[in-house]
Amino acid sequence: MATLVAGKKKTVRINGCVASAQAAKYADVDVITAYPIRPYTATMMALAQMVANGELDAEYIVADSEHSQLSIAHGASSSGARVFTGSSGVGVQYGYELYSPISGSRMPVQMMIADRTLDPPGDFGSEHTDALSTRDMGWLMGWSCDAQEAFDNHLIAYRIGEDPRVLLPQMVCQDGFFVSHITCDVELPDQGQVNEFLPPYKHPYPLDPRHPVSHGPQIMPEQGPPLQLERARAMEGSMAVIEEAHEEFAKIFGRRYDPWIEEFMTDDADVVFFLQGAHGVTARYAIKHMRERGAKVGLVRLRTIRPYPTDRVNEVLSKFKVVGVIETNMGLGSVSSGGSLYAEVCGALYESQKRPLVVSFMAGMGGEAIVLKEFYWMTQKMLEAQKRGSIAKRTHWVGFEE
Amino acid sequence: MSTQGTHIPDWLKVPFAGITPGPSQEKGQDLFPTGNWRAIRPVYRDKLPPCNNACGTNEKIQGYLDLVKRGKYLDAYALIKEDMPFPSVTGRVCYHPCEQACNRGQYDEAISIRAVERFLGDLGQALNRDVVKAGKPNGKKVAVIGSGPAGHSAAYQLARLGYKVTILERSPKAGGLNRGGIPDWVLPQAVLDREIERLVELGIEIKTNVEVGKDITLDDLKKNYDATVFCVGLTESNSARAEGEDKPGVIFGLPFLRDIGMGTSKVKVGSRVAVIGGGNTAIDCAREALRQGAVEVTMITVEAHPQEMPASPEDLHDMLEEGVELMHGRAMTAVLGNGKVESLQLYPARFTGKINASPIAIDKEGAGEKFAVDTVIIAVGQKAKLDWMPAEYKTERGTIKIDSFGRIANTNFFAAGDVVQLGGGQPLMVVNAVGDGKRVAFNLDKVLNNVPLEPRTVPIDVIVDLNRMNMTYFPHFPRVKQAMLAPAARKSTQQEVILAYTEEQATTEAARCFSCGTCNACDNCYLVCPEPCIVRSVRSNGLYKILVDYCKGCRVCIEECPTGCLEGVPELDFDTGVVRMDTAFAISQGLHGRQAEELRAVPDRPAKSI
Repeated sequence: MATLVAGKKKTVRINGCVASAQAAKYADVDVITAYPIRPYTATMMALAQMVANGELDAEYIVADSEHSQLSIAHGASSSGARVFTGSSGVGVQYGYELYSPISGSRMPVQMMIADRTLDPPGDFGSEHTDALSTRDMGWLMGWSCDAQEAFDNHLIAYRIGEDPRVLLPQMVCQDGFFVSHITCDVELPDQGQVNEFLPPYKHPYPLDPRHPVSHGPQIMPEQGPPLQLERARAMEGSMAVIEEAHEEFAKIFGRRYDPWIEEFMTDDADVVFFLQGAHGVTARYAIKHMRERGAKVGLVRLRTIRPYPTDRVNEVLSKFKVVGVIETNMGLGSVSSGGSLYAEVCGALYESQKRPLVVSFMAGMGGEAIVLKEFYWMTQKMLEAQKRGSIAKRTHWVGFEE
Repeated sequence: MSTQGTHIPDWLKVPFAGITPGPSQEKGQDLFPTGNWRAIRPVYRDKLPPCNNACGTNEKIQGYLDLVKRGKYLDAYALIKEDMPFPSVTGRVCYHPCEQACNRGQYDEAISIRAVERFLGDLGQALNRDVVKAGKPNGKKVAVIGSGPAGHSAAYQLARLGYKVTILERSPKAGGLNRGGIPDWVLPQAVLDREIERLVELGIEIKTNVEVGKDITLDDLKKNYDATVFCVGLTESNSARAEGEDKPGVIFGLPFLRDIGMGTSKVKVGSRVAVIGGGNTAIDCAREALRQGAVEVTMITVEAHPQEMPASPEDLHDMLEEGVELMHGRAMTAVLGNGKVESLQLYPARFTGKINASPIAIDKEGAGEKFAVDTVIIAVGQKAKLDWMPAEYKTERGTIKIDSFGRIANTNFFAAGDVVQLGGGQPLMVVNAVGDGKRVAFNLDKVLNNVPLEPRTVPIDVIVDLNRMNMTYFPHFPRVKQAMLAPAARKSTQQEVILAYTEEQATTEAARCFSCGTCNACDNCYLVCPEPCIVRSVRSNGLYKILVDYCKGCRVCIEECPTGCLEGVPELDFDTGVVRMDTAFAISQGLHGRQAEELRAVPDRPAKSI
């Protein structure tokens, strides 16, 4: 489908939700499936306007639930369409059944997530647990920290997911409100740039009545493992494609991202924060202040969690004395009894010859901002551990401890 | 990298994401055979529809109705001709036991099978060349004595088998009971003539005016023919055992009809006619009497009610419509009158036991009456004339003695039709005689080819229970009625009373058929299979195939089969096409395989034959 109104390169002031919608428009998606839930709804509102205004020629389907929304996305992708969908919080959970089938049938559906805390009780604030709970379902997954990065990540994710060497769905996540509803300057590219970067989607075996195929047939038990192995190969094999895509993106758009990790003021750092998403922006600000006070603190922001860059995390974090993992997610009863990110970090570091101390911070929960004071407090805890040579406890509940 | 160094063995190579050719496509089933989930296998197992079973000659009624429904009239005609030499005749005269047996009768109204048969018979009559061909000559000669329904049928089937057949007929014209026992307004002479021509076209020689025992002896037959089939019928009328039956004005039913049929009748009936008897011949006589000029016709029966009369209810209805009166529960003991019939002496009477099959008790003490008539027609049954037949070949009830294959005392003499069936418990009908002639012809063929004659041992599954079909697929729909001449118009004419179906009527009526227990290619199984693992090559009877490597045995097709021809058969009954459960879900490896081994030890059951 041709985009009716070709985008021109310009800088606009938009929030993360609209940036995602703009990315979908630039990607010239064929099918959009929507079901409203705050905060991601604003993306679908923007897309609905674009379709209504004739700026985007796409099928816009309002489903009766997230389960249907993802089922329709699955079906549309199976027929060879480029599909855009999204959700937040419990909406992400309601569609859970579809995550494995979509990746198992190797359909590169793209899903935008604007995080929202899971119930109870109803809380609109951002927390990463909604998307992270699906992290092992075979979807490519990563967080953006602002609207520009969100816009770029959508285009990059389509390119990776639709690559015939990969063919996997993608979750392009952004924090609810901190990214989704805060405006910032976003450079929108020329449509020509996007067309150059993102070739049209072509599934090798789409559903087509003229060439009938069976998708998702029943199999014998022994036929499951080879299919799982193939999916694992696709996930691992995507790592090379991810690097290739970011390189190509930098060439065409002039913005260079490390595909896995953003390092901020880590050159001589002893202690670093390890986190995903929007709180990285506050962290940078806080780190600058603390540096002025002489603390050798830095930031390591994970940009892609699936596939997880184990070797890269090992290599980067081994340089430091203490790593403070800011979770922004719930991992009740997990390794650290805090969030789930701690285990990912420790797992990557286990084989390190120079293993840093790792401490987990339960901060930014329920959509609370992590204020500068809390960054100072967490830095203090890391410095104390560095001095002591051991951590006081694995997990700190920030704001609830002295 | 966890997947580094992994390899998938060839036998486990799977296509990308398990995406396979559609299951309806070639090779589409090969990759993920799920047939091993199945405990029940759907099997197309045709039952015998009750109509086919009830038909005296086992016409493939369901089959030709299905073909008529699809507009394949010539195929339908060819199918009917396998068992029935003259559908144009039975399409008019048959008492259609098929319709009495029709399952649709339990539902709304039976299919008007006879009307469709007549439609096909008339179509066959109009053909320049019949579709039936004589068999390759086998050099053997057979004589068939008599050209009535049984003889006609036997000669026809023998000609198809390749025999040189000669029919010897006592009368000046061939046709037997078809000509002499059935009035013109039921079966026009021209229709029968055409069917006799068809026999001649098959190479059958018909010699008329040849009476066995008089013009030709049994020894002559033995000498000149490899075998002989006696289909001599019941030519003699039973007496009513009343005094004065020899008076002028007393007529016997069969000669009455026969003489009119042969065009040699000199009888003139009076204005008041009584018919003695309550059977079909009596009804024909009563109705014929009206056409011969009678004003008042009364039928006098021993049976106490119309329902007890051994007659076709439709014909009885038509007769009453034409104005014939019924008088029940009386017997005639004497024909009174001086040199002519003036009245009948009647007394109350009843059967002492089973209706129409036990001695009659006449109450001469009861209220006798004199019933004034000008003519009396006695139609109380027929008997055979077998004075030429050696006693050892005859039964005590005056019929020819045969074994269960129609053979006489292990000779090459056979007999068929009324002359063997009388008193055998079956009603005497044209169609039963036709069936008898057919079976005897095939048995004769076996005997001459030294093939042993064996009785059928496997029971036939006749589907009579509507619960074995899925009635939700059959909307109620009334029977298409055949048009008839108005009763008032019938009396002065020999025109056919019942009129033929139009093509549209025939196809509409044929489409009402349930196709009981028999696949009629309705496509339902093909459509409802959720996989789909039912394939079809041509949409015609029974040409579906279950892909057993894939069918999970969900039973949907079985439940949704309208006709009940699909059955669920336990998987353990099979030892071919089985996807054993050894690999996947068996409790222990090879469990099903071992059970199948045990089952193989059970002796094979013989295949069903019809």
